[in-house]
Amino acid sequence: MKKILTFSLLLALCFSFSLVFQGESSRVIYDGSSRNFIFDVDGTASPTDLFANFKSVMPGDVKTQKITVKNDASNKIKVRLYLRSLGAVEGSEEFLSQLTLQVKQSEDNTMAYMFDAAADRPAQLSDWVCLGTLYSGGEVNLDVTLLVPTELDNRYSSQTGLLTWEFRAEELPLEPGDPQPPPTSDMPLSWGWIVAIGLCAVGVVLLLIWRRRARDDEDEE
Amino acid sequence: MFGKIKLRLFAVSVVAILLSFFLQGTLAYYSTVGTATNVVTTGNIRFLIHEKTDQGTEFPKEGVYIVPGDVVSKQVSIESDCDHPFYLRVKIVYGIDSQELSAEECFKLNVDETVWELRDGWYYYKGIVQPGQTTPNVFSHVEMVGAAMDNRHLGKTLTLSVVAQGVQSENNPVNGTDTYTALGWPQN
Repeated sequence: MKKILTFSLLLALCFSFSLVFQGESSRVIYDGSSRNFIFDVDGTASPTDLFANFKSVMPGDVKTQKITVKNDASNKIKVRLYLRSLGAVEGSEEFLSQLTLQVKQSEDNTMAYMFDAAADRPAQLSDWVCLGTLYSGGEVNLDVTLLVPTELDNRYSSQTGLLTWEFRAEELPLEPGDPQPPPTSDMPLSWGWIVAIGLCAVGVVLLLIWRRRARDDEDEE
Repeated sequence: MFGKIKLRLFAVSVVAILLSFFLQGTLAYYSTVGTATNVVTTGNIRFLIHEKTDQGTEFPKEGVYIVPGDVVSKQVSIESDCDHPFYLRVKIVYGIDSQELSAEECFKLNVDETVWELRDGWYYYKGIVQPGQTTPNVFSHVEMVGAAMDNRHLGKTLTLSVVAQGVQSENNPVNGTDTYTALGWPQN
């Protein structure tokens, strides 16, 4: 019985670890409390590697990778997110120049290809490209496609190429026209509460004044 | 007098603090940058050539002593050592440490041609070698042809080398078992 329990616990543990990274989609999360980006990725090749599906590629391969960028900041603000590419890391240029990379926003396909060029170049992503303004919990999806030419030379087998991307988040206050977040327990105080607290404060002040006057009167007597 | 100045200073400070709260709400925003180092890797084709005896032991690297007519147990197979499936071809290269003699006729191999198809000097494996798979033997015995050997071969070293080449089968379809038609075979 103990063994079964141990085995079940181990199985549950393995399952819970497997849930940390699902493999299909890499996630970039803007964490408003720490004001940092969290990369929820496989992390075997690099702790911030968003290209889990672009491993051990072969000539003729066409691989896709979904990347979800999420705003996990408080509901009092909205976040404008940007992306840019710094291109290939030094030493990877020649290898990555053989491959083609395409990036497009997959939400509703309103934005056509943001990037379509040799993988070593920043191309259209050399400047910051706005991915959108997201309210708390909002997401934007990117579809990245890697095309490996059939005629890729044998000398490019077992190669590793590094490509740097930067994400930028700008926190902006909510404006009157913005959609209102649903009420939660950490919402600001309502007007009723503010009036009540104000009345209490005035009451305390009046009480203090009354006591002081009473004391002054006692002293005069 | 001094008390009045203090009071005014206090009032101005309070107003300034209150204004700063409003300004923070309307103008200031935070900006954060996160860097992702993305990694692209390419695969490869790797395999191992096994040469064993019918006892299951490794074929001796130093070779064996033979006399004409001997049948030597030598089982040659290829094992995949990569994550990708591939087509395979094998060539047998003969050699002898003599300028005048040829070794080619001295060897007779029992190649299973239902699995290996001979084309232009290469034996093409008629299937796809899957990751982790070992092929059937290319041959299992080598007969030293008595009729092709004479006293001139006495004390000579004859060699039989197995050369193998693989090419990816992904994105590289062939018609049936015609693996020799696959693209990407090296030119040599």
